[in-house]
Amino acid sequence: MTLLEARSEADALEQLHALGLTDGLPVVIPTPDRVAMMALATGLDPDLELGVMGPAHGVASVEKVATAAVMAGCLPDHIPVVVAAVRAVCQPEFDLTEMQSTTHCTAPLIVVCGPARHQCGEVASGFGALGPGHRANATIGRALRLAMMNIGGARPGVSDMALHGHPGKFTYCLAEDTENSPFPPLHTTYGYAEDDSAVVIVGAEAPHSTIFTGDADDPESANRLLNVIAAVMANPGSNNAHLRHGAVTVIMNPDHTTVLARAGLTREDIQAELAARATNTAATLAHVGSAFYLNRDGPPDELVPILKDPSRIVVFQAGGSGLYTMVMPSWCAGPHQNPVVHAAIDLDQACEVPWADTLGVGQSDTTDVVGGAA
Amino acid sequence: MRDSITTARAGIPSIALVTDAFWPQGDFVAAATGMPSVPRIRLPHPVAGSGEDAMAKVAADIAPQIISILTGAAAN
Repeated sequence: MTLLEARSEADALEQLHALGLTDGLPVVIPTPDRVAMMALATGLDPDLELGVMGPAHGVASVEKVATAAVMAGCLPDHIPVVVAAVRAVCQPEFDLTEMQSTTHCTAPLIVVCGPARHQCGEVASGFGALGPGHRANATIGRALRLAMMNIGGARPGVSDMALHGHPGKFTYCLAEDTENSPFPPLHTTYGYAEDDSAVVIVGAEAPHSTIFTGDADDPESANRLLNVIAAVMANPGSNNAHLRHGAVTVIMNPDHTTVLARAGLTREDIQAELAARATNTAATLAHVGSAFYLNRDGPPDELVPILKDPSRIVVFQAGGSGLYTMVMPSWCAGPHQNPVVHAAIDLDQACEVPWADTLGVGQSDTTDVVGGAA
Repeated sequence: MRDSITTARAGIPSIALVTDAFWPQGDFVAAATGMPSVPRIRLPHPVAGSGEDAMAKVAADIAPQIISILTGAAAN
């Protein structure tokens, strides 16, 4: 571990900014005590290697990941999810090096599943789960990003060549709304037991909003909902339409899952239906000048699906009740073409630590604080 | 909520119909606009898309409350 010296926390923060070790926002200063305590909370050896993060090929030890978690503002309760997320993105098939280096804006979306949603959080799954105001969501996703920057070496314009990036590259984490969902928990799709906890991670663009108002009197309601989601998935400007591999994430609000469940559709049915409907004609791909669709001699009305494997459509419930489902297209490139990865969240190893004492909560002199609430 | 508050401020009796999921937001808007006790009635959620029969039942259930509040027979 490299140690810096600073006269104060304010000076330390300026050093970290100057060294390019932050995401541009203030961080909690990773003092040795804080990092040691966060690492202790994992219940793992601080030197244990969780994986290697490209493009710098930095070794993601527990200690280094704990450093990122401290900086992100995580509580020790959150660290098991961060550890699982790092393990997941370090799996070779996730192509982290290529993902971090691409000009596309892709960012890892962390979906927290199972009891860890409550034990490591609360990780929000309802109103605004992808937005601000949820500490666990914000800091867990931010910790993974800081690990990707400071261990993996992703620097904008130098080694992370995303042309624009997107706000989900600050943090991109939510939980599945399992309790209110008509589908089995998402992680059971990947072989976990319901009582297990896991992260499911997929490289994703920013969410694309999809509006639909159901009508319980309309027997075609489910059909129409599938059509509009498929239409957004097949946006002819997205990589999915052109490269026709990759993954698509579909986060449905409770009203929309109700429409589909009422029609008797399972998650697998929905995946199959969306895969079949999310198409463009060859003429459309020619119209938008796709350099990646090479079957130019085929019939113009040929339907070209945006993906071949329905299981690459990640369907789950989250968000408040209302009109919108979120669709996240993906990058689709890299050697493994943007697969979905997952890793178990190990809650048995985690241990409680005196975090407030480590931070110095309640131990310093009285400080005036300007309240920001209306 | 804001329509109801604007209408009430114009001197026209008004009641906001707020579904259960948006009830906290109703409280927030009422407080933020300085009319914390503006009349409102809680509806099940969701109403939109629930079908004509379900919506007719909601309407039938709340109509007496609306009349009651507007005639001053009860406060909600």
